[in-house]
Amino acid sequence: MMIDLSELQDSTQKAFPASDLMPPRDACWKIVAEMGWLLVDLPEDLGGLGLPREAAAAILFELGKGLNTAPLTPALLALRGIAAAPDFAAKTDWIERICGGEYVPLNMLRGTVHKATKGGLSGAITGLFEADMAQHVLIGASGAYRLIPTDAPGVTLTERPLWDSSRRLFDLHLEDVSEADTVLVAAGEDAALLHDEIARSAHLFVAADSLGGANAALDMSVEYLKVRKQFDRPLAMFQALKHRCADLKIALVTAEALFWARASAAGSALVVDLGAMKGLATDTYRLVTEEAIQLHGGIGLTEEYPIHHYMKRAMLNLQLCGSLDHWRAAAGRDALQRLR
Amino acid sequence: MTDIATLEALRAELRSWLAANTPQGWRAITEHQAFAQSQRQWFLKLVGAGYAIPHWPKEWPGGGRSLAEQKVIYEELAAADAPRLLLSFVSTYHAASTLIECGTEAQKARYLPAILTGETWCQGFSEPGAGSDLAAIRCKAELRGDHYVINGQKVWSTMAQYADKCLLLVRTSSDGAKQAGITFLLMDMKAPGVSVRPISQIQGDEEFAEIFLDNVRVPVSERVGEEGKGWAVAQTTLSSERGLTLLELANRMKGALGRVATLIRDHGHEGDAGVLRDFGQLVTQVDAVCATADRFLENRIAGIERVGDASIVKNAYSQALRAYSALGVRLGGMAEQVRAPITFGDLNTGNWMADFMNSYAWTIAGGSEEVQRNIIAERMLEMPREPKAWVQ
Repeated sequence: MMIDLSELQDSTQKAFPASDLMPPRDACWKIVAEMGWLLVDLPEDLGGLGLPREAAAAILFELGKGLNTAPLTPALLALRGIAAAPDFAAKTDWIERICGGEYVPLNMLRGTVHKATKGGLSGAITGLFEADMAQHVLIGASGAYRLIPTDAPGVTLTERPLWDSSRRLFDLHLEDVSEADTVLVAAGEDAALLHDEIARSAHLFVAADSLGGANAALDMSVEYLKVRKQFDRPLAMFQALKHRCADLKIALVTAEALFWARASAAGSALVVDLGAMKGLATDTYRLVTEEAIQLHGGIGLTEEYPIHHYMKRAMLNLQLCGSLDHWRAAAGRDALQRLR
Repeated sequence: MTDIATLEALRAELRSWLAANTPQGWRAITEHQAFAQSQRQWFLKLVGAGYAIPHWPKEWPGGGRSLAEQKVIYEELAAADAPRLLLSFVSTYHAASTLIECGTEAQKARYLPAILTGETWCQGFSEPGAGSDLAAIRCKAELRGDHYVINGQKVWSTMAQYADKCLLLVRTSSDGAKQAGITFLLMDMKAPGVSVRPISQIQGDEEFAEIFLDNVRVPVSERVGEEGKGWAVAQTTLSSERGLTLLELANRMKGALGRVATLIRDHGHEGDAGVLRDFGQLVTQVDAVCATADRFLENRIAGIERVGDASIVKNAYSQALRAYSALGVRLGGMAEQVRAPITFGDLNTGNWMADFMNSYAWTIAGGSEEVQRNIIAERMLEMPREPKAWVQ
């Protein structure tokens, strides 16, 4: 399906100009909910706009440019998981709550949940963004998806301070939590299906954030080189620096081309193809921001100058939804099987 | 956009045609004339079947294919291990683009149909003193009546030793900016005064040649564009090299990834996580280059190509090609270090070391990687040019 994404991108830019870096989180979240972005890729029969994932990715691409602090990605992933659960009785209630602005994140790093000897659920789950805002979190771990109230007996949220100051990350600890306090969304084969369905969006969205951010970081670096003068000329005149910027531009345009190509077919794509694409996108973000600090020289090492925020966000993105090494090996294994 | 059923039908049709028609044993050819002959035959066969010029306009038989159809054709040609059309490469891309976009009606009528019956073209652009600085060419053309008389030397002309015609850049004036005195001519390689000397290359092949021009006469009617406006015409030729050709090359590289998979299996690396990661990285890089070439051509068709886009595609491709052949050399082990006989497979000779050496043609020819970086930095990122004058 071909859709025109430029309108969505324009309205995103209007709501969040990229020049306004890391606007305060709670205000951001309010705008995100008001703009209806949670509804974008939700099927129409569930009250959404029914646009493909690509549309949500286009919004996240724009938000990535300004290091947006609203946790739209974890919320969209939880929503998609709930919406796609094949057999979940309370589905419509939960969709209504989330679309109304209640923040329910999905964990974006691994975790384990097991039956405790006393009969409840115990375990540790990482990768919950902005969970201090959430009354419930959706946990995908150990072959099941469960909604868990953050204030139930035995549930503890612990913030893990990050280098990345555009996001807050929490660990969830479960100590013999009564199953009756949690809501089972999917288990067994349903959970495996759900995992792939969520993974398609997850890779796309992390890639979108990364490539939006990488674009902004490269622009910022090139602008800096044009302004900063040494040896009686702008640094941007030195070929050694020009060539580095050109190589970053090539890496970025190439990763973006793969991103949009896979985004437009994400609904039916193999998870490994999207994971490999995410690997390339996050690694490109890493490369661009790593170089960006160096291109900025000493000022790049100061807290005051914003370029370091991009590098820190890039390094964290590299860890989300499976490592670069994991996806490279998976892509290699897959190609080896395909190419006989 | 072509629907999936049409594409799959094309794929099936191609597969059965290729199964019956792909030349066999072409890699065993080690003699130049025999190779050129095999290339001519293969080209004419592809023309007859309608697969040689999918990128030409739709008025031409076999032309007007959608991007999606073109990709299927290139992928299947690579998967069938069919030889690339090296001898007619400049003819079907550079010459065709230049003539279609800038040629007179008479030139189009004379030269385009002839390409399809096997007339081959070479490119006379670079000179010993004008490589990256192409506008510094000195090969001189003087107007005498209705002819130009040409004296000078050209170098790095791909397959000029087999060519019938030449896309020639000459200097008709030394006044003003060096770009302003350049004129674009179509030259007959059989004209008196033209001599060609092939250049021996590091992989043993003679893909490039030097052309010497001694009082060669070219009729004024063979000029493309106005006198002194040849630089702009040359940009059309080069842009076809930097963009259009890469859809084929990128998809052929994708189609040839199976060669790396075979190496991995043959050397028992299936369980080696490091090798799998490197292979996975390459596969993704090649996919990204294919997607970049797609996007580039979609934008060009839609009229929204940006200056520098073609340079990005070219460098993205040549870097991936280097990575591809370097991985092959590494995984192939000692076998690739044993000198192979001259091979003509270009990017897929059957010997990874030869492929690796051939990959330099793409990082150097058609405007080196470094020149492309300058174009991207100066014209796309709008970084200032370096100060001009340098006085020894």
